[in-house]
Amino acid sequence: MSGQEEEENAAELKIGDEFLKAKCLMNCEVALILDRKYEQLQQMSDDPMNQVSQVFEKSLQYVKRFSRYTNPDAVRQVREILSRYQLAEFELCVLGNLCPETVEEAIAMVPSIKSRGRTHEDEAIEKMLNDLSLIKKFE
Amino acid sequence: MYLKVELPWNVLIPPENLDAKGLMLQRAIIVRLMDDFAVRKATKDHGYFLALTSLNSIGEGKVRQDSGGVLFPVVFSCITFKPFKGEILKGVVSKVMKQGVFLTCGPVENIYIPALTMPDFQYVQGENPVFMNDSLSKIDSGVTLRFVVMGTKWIESKREFQVLGSLKLDFLGPV
Repeated sequence: MSGQEEEENAAELKIGDEFLKAKCLMNCEVALILDRKYEQLQQMSDDPMNQVSQVFEKSLQYVKRFSRYTNPDAVRQVREILSRYQLAEFELCVLGNLCPETVEEAIAMVPSIKSRGRTHEDEAIEKMLNDLSLIKKFE
Repeated sequence: MYLKVELPWNVLIPPENLDAKGLMLQRAIIVRLMDDFAVRKATKDHGYFLALTSLNSIGEGKVRQDSGGVLFPVVFSCITFKPFKGEILKGVVSKVMKQGVFLTCGPVENIYIPALTMPDFQYVQGENPVFMNDSLSKIDSGVTLRFVVMGTKWIESKREFQVLGSLKLDFLGPV
C-alpha cells in the first residue's frame, strides 16, 4: 500500500500530512478563544447570540462543558508541560482533553504514543500525568 | 479535534460597497468574509467552521465582467472542528433507541453508536428507555459518553458529517 492511499486512522496518527502540521487546539484553549470572540460581539450588539452561527454556539457550549482547565494560566501550563514530551500536536490535545488518570488509560486513549518505536517509557508517561494533575490541583 | 487552520478564499465585493476607499473597503471585505464563513458552515476537508481569528492578507482585486463586483483573494486563520477516524471523543447522549444511541459532540449532531458495539450494556425498555450494565452504569439522555470514532461520512446536501462511533475499547463508556 502506498503512503498516499493509506486509510486515515488517528489511533495510529495517520491523519494526513496537512493535519499533522496544522495546529490542534485543546477544548480549554478553544473555550478561551470563543469566549473572547463572544465578548467582542457583546460589545458590538445587544443580542450577541443572534450574531453567531449555530456551529459557534454549539461548540462554545461543548468546550465549556468539557474543559478541564478554565484558568488561562493553567491552560498555558498544560500545553507547556505536554510539549516537553515529544508528542505530536494531535496526541498532545487528546491527552489534554481526556485527562487520563493512569498510564494504561493514557495508552488506550492515544495508542500511537507506544507504537513505532517511540521512546515513551511508562515512567515518563506517569510523570506527565502527575504533572497534569498537579496543575489541576493548584488551578 | 479542534484545529487552527489558514485558508485562502475569494471574497466578492458588490459594486455598491466599492465607493469608499481604504478602511471602508477593508471593512466590507471582513464583513463579507464573516458572512461567507458562517454560511459555508463546514467543508469535507476542514470540518466545521467555528470562528475567524485573523485576516492575514488581502490580495489584488479582480473586476468581474458580469456583475461589476470585485473579487479579492484573502488568506485568513480560523478554528475548525473535524472528527477523525480512530479519535476518542466525549459526546452527550441525545436519544436512546433499542438499536443504539445518538450523541452530539460540539457542532456534530449526528453520532450513532450501535448497540452491537456496547456488548456490556443491556437495553431497558420503558417510557424513558436506557442502557445499563451489570455495575448499574446507565446510558440515558444527557449522559456523557467517551467513544471512539469508527468512521465519518460527509453529507454534501446538508454540509455536515455523520459519525459512526463505538464503545468497544477499554476506558470507553459513561464518564
